[in-house]
Amino acid sequence: MNAITNYIKSLFLWELMKGLSLTGRYLFKSKITVQYPEEKTPLSNRFRGLHALRRYPNGEERCIACKLCEAVCPALAITIESAPRENDGTRRTSRYEIDLLKCIFCGFCEESCPVDSIVESRTFEYHGEQRGDLLMTKEKLLAQGDKVEQELAADRAYDARYR
Amino acid sequence: MATIEIDGKPYQAQPGQMLIEVADANGINIPRFCYHKKLSIAANCRMCLVEVEKAPKPMPACATPVMDGMKVWTRSAKALTAQQAVMEFLLINHPLDCPICDQGGECELQDVAVGYGKDVSRYHEGKRVVIDKNLGPLIATEMTRCIHCTRCVRFSQEITGIQEMGAPGRGEHTYIGTYIEKNIASELSGNMIDLCPVGALTSKPFRFAARAWEIQQHDTIAPHDSLGSNLHLHIYRNQIMRVAPKENEAINEVWISDRDRFSYQGLTAEDRLTVPLIKIGETWQATSWEKALAFVKEGLKKVISAHGNQAVGALASPTATVEELYLLQKLMRGIGSHNIDHRLRQVDFSDQNAAPLFPYLGQAIADLEHCGTALIIGSHLRKEQPLLNHRLRKASLRGAKIILINPIDYEFNLPIATKIIAPPAAWLNHLAGIAKALLENRSSLIPHSVEALLATVSPDAQQRALAQTLRTGNKRTVLLGNLATAHPQFSVVRALAAIIAKLSGATLGYLGEANNTAGAWLAGAIPHRGAAGNPIAAAGLDAYTMLTQGMKSYILLGLEPELDSCSGTAALKHLQQADFVVSLTAYRTATIENYADVMLPISLFAETSGTYINVVGNWQSFKGAIQPRGDIRPAWKILRVLGNLFNLDGFEYTASDQICDELRQQVGNKIIGNKTAWQIPTHLELNSTSGLQRITEMPIYSVDALVRRAIALQHTLDATQVTGIHINTQVATQLGLTANNPVIVKQNGAVINLPVVIDERVPDEAVLIYAGQVAQIELGAWHDQIELTATC
Amino acid sequence: MSTRLAKSDTTTLLSAETRTAIDRWLAKYPPDHKQSAVMGALSIVQAANGGWLTTELMDAVADYLAMPPIAVYEVATFYSMYELQPVGRHKICVCTNVSCMLCGSEDIVAHLETKIGVKLGETTADNKFTLKEVECLGACGGAPMMQIGREYHENLTPTKVDEILAKLE
Repeated sequence: MNAITNYIKSLFLWELMKGLSLTGRYLFKSKITVQYPEEKTPLSNRFRGLHALRRYPNGEERCIACKLCEAVCPALAITIESAPRENDGTRRTSRYEIDLLKCIFCGFCEESCPVDSIVESRTFEYHGEQRGDLLMTKEKLLAQGDKVEQELAADRAYDARYR
Repeated sequence: MATIEIDGKPYQAQPGQMLIEVADANGINIPRFCYHKKLSIAANCRMCLVEVEKAPKPMPACATPVMDGMKVWTRSAKALTAQQAVMEFLLINHPLDCPICDQGGECELQDVAVGYGKDVSRYHEGKRVVIDKNLGPLIATEMTRCIHCTRCVRFSQEITGIQEMGAPGRGEHTYIGTYIEKNIASELSGNMIDLCPVGALTSKPFRFAARAWEIQQHDTIAPHDSLGSNLHLHIYRNQIMRVAPKENEAINEVWISDRDRFSYQGLTAEDRLTVPLIKIGETWQATSWEKALAFVKEGLKKVISAHGNQAVGALASPTATVEELYLLQKLMRGIGSHNIDHRLRQVDFSDQNAAPLFPYLGQAIADLEHCGTALIIGSHLRKEQPLLNHRLRKASLRGAKIILINPIDYEFNLPIATKIIAPPAAWLNHLAGIAKALLENRSSLIPHSVEALLATVSPDAQQRALAQTLRTGNKRTVLLGNLATAHPQFSVVRALAAIIAKLSGATLGYLGEANNTAGAWLAGAIPHRGAAGNPIAAAGLDAYTMLTQGMKSYILLGLEPELDSCSGTAALKHLQQADFVVSLTAYRTATIENYADVMLPISLFAETSGTYINVVGNWQSFKGAIQPRGDIRPAWKILRVLGNLFNLDGFEYTASDQICDELRQQVGNKIIGNKTAWQIPTHLELNSTSGLQRITEMPIYSVDALVRRAIALQHTLDATQVTGIHINTQVATQLGLTANNPVIVKQNGAVINLPVVIDERVPDEAVLIYAGQVAQIELGAWHDQIELTATC
Repeated sequence: MSTRLAKSDTTTLLSAETRTAIDRWLAKYPPDHKQSAVMGALSIVQAANGGWLTTELMDAVADYLAMPPIAVYEVATFYSMYELQPVGRHKICVCTNVSCMLCGSEDIVAHLETKIGVKLGETTADNKFTLKEVECLGACGGAPMMQIGREYHENLTPTKVDEILAKLE
């Protein structure tokens, strides 16, 4: 019985018809393709993109060189050196580097940070043209933080209830 | 013995032991903050509460003595509730600043809080804040973190002996501190950092440099104190971050001196030499090791062919390792010269042949704390050997009588029974007097020479009393310090000390100078004996002769003779006049550039493997913990290659332990002892001197090149008050001098200006000048007449 | 105590009368327990210095009694009768401990503050009064109470306080 059914199905190209009908349905449906880079998909407020170092509203850098992110980083992408800051003796990083070539964007650094200093921003479109471009130094990270601070603050405020 | 039961298991305990001691001995963990096995019991943190059968309330394990048949539960519901409650109270005022706290990751409070703390605090009121006081260059404070365990207070009271920390205030306003802003002056102060269970007291040079989990720990032996303290080095990215004591009950217990703790800073000094340098004409050129060593060989060969092999002399620092010293003497003796010495601060070598195998403490270090009477001759013990001083302090608190003969009335932190304060020249009178007083009461056989020597001496009442004190008491000891070794008539001082020891039945001992003085003797870095104390045909020249009479060529190992030796001026002059000076040095200074022809960069403590032999003859080997910078090489490798270049036999070592083993075999089972190690001088010159006598002390933080570059130590009180010329008020008034004004100081032709420091510890007829200071080099020898004239 | 170059001289700071007075206290204790006299000594020195102690005076006491200076600071900061800042001619010590508080010491404090115009722990501009909060002075039977100089004033009411203050110079 089964053999006869299969025979008839293959004779009349049943599977082909089935596939083409699906194609045909989508042909007339409204399109979901996003025309990147002219168009962009929406991002979650928890999106884990390019790292940034944040500052407090008064301009003071948040990072206190506790080195928890360095310790937790599974890819060993973070390198920190700490020292008392020259002018006021507070604990600060004298070097803070993230090697984006090593980074796996797991977000543990952000998770471990006690002062919400190291965060992953929504920025994901970046590139390097030469060796070292993707080694994020403290200056680059702070600059990135300054650039998208409003967005970072809003994202974290939105998520505050769940943290 | 009592049998107690902890958590259902029976344990044996000594009556009088505290519960926590029994638990610790059997590996049962009881949380604690205020309890420390070397400090008195305060029982004020209450963290160690445990449940005891039939006790209505939980009992503090640190202050509950064991009783036979006692039943204790350390993890029962009752005990845990009590511990959790205590933890909650302790955390009320403790700030939540672990991320910026240097103790974070190795904090006892943090650890215990993980075990007993609650996740969320029920305390919503404001936390207590304490304003910090600056405790000096060694200890960083963050007293808001303090949990009032009072370990530091008890340490300062019981161990340093001079209480500097306290708990002013009352109730919630109590805080731990010094009340007034002051530098902690104790030479053991760094131990408070280890004691503090939280991050209230941390190391200032280490501040914010690394986290506990990044640090690697290596063991090594301390580079300064003569007892060879055991250390943990904490290393991060090939740099020593800090130094902590390694427990060794027989040597350093659980303490180390600040000198051993903070001198690592000298390793990264700015003037560290990192490439071999040779002087071509008048300019210094960096070069390769091959060229530099060939240059050394050529230079030495030239001197030897022109002036003979006796024209070469070697001077070594007693902080060098046994291996380095052994190879240096092997090289020198291979060349055919016995001119090698490490005793840079000694003047009188006349009885060196009778000297012991090495200057031996005469007893185990731990035995010092059980002595009944100790006569200390010429030692600022507290600053010379802080931990030996601590042992004696324990003895004196148990009732031992400590007798001092010192040039300066040093402040001691232990009860002193009697003290004689006199310029070194007058010591002989006192020692002879004591010896005579002992002799008069002695009936057994005495060598006639001793009687003849002391025939004309008549002891005064004080000397008789001292002799009487020395004769009584069970364990007696006579100890010679560094100021005695540097005495211009050291042989007589030693002979009299030995006579006194013999007559009173005391043990004669040396307190030791550097960490490897004993090693230098055993390795043969002495002109009159070979390695392992083996006799040699004819003695070479001693350090003093080499530096004051001049050599054609010098080999220096880890030295800055102008600061390290007791004849700085003469040393400088003769080093400059020499034809060829090789300096194996870790540092490049203008002075070395001035006199040396080659500078070979050597690795220092923690950078090389080696062995140190301490004052009781313990051989302690260690491995290198960090890689030195640049082209720096261990001195033993440099000396080995030099040996090869000179085609000498027996320089085929591939590792430092081969050298050590070779020496060990030679030493074999030679008996260590000071018993026969003295000779009776032929006559006693007790002429009294007139005029102002110079007294010279090597201050604690100037003893060697490494510690002179330890920045933090150089800012302590001990390092800052060593300038100028110290005289007492009487001398000052006599000469019309006032404090801080410069005075013209004349010594044997040399004239310099020094500021006056009024120092009541200095006896009349004497001035105190500190050694190891650049400003004072020009004055010359350590013992001399001094003339002071006021500047107008 | 830093390594001292000079033996300190206490005689310049402590007058002969002060030292004699301290010696009377010292006589009450065994010679090896000189520190027992520290409270008496501090009171004497404070009285001689117009009612407060300087660090130098405490150091002098420490030297005189062969104690570490910090041990003297501990005593002086613990007890409320020692003053480490200059005080007014009349030191008003109001007890606010349990018994007094239950009997209305808060009203007394409030009244005193408005009356003499300074807060607790402050001294009036004319240097007449110092207002101070102290712990139990052992007169709970007469709560609320305050101490002025060497006298206890008990069962206080605002009117009674006014009367007492009016009598003071």
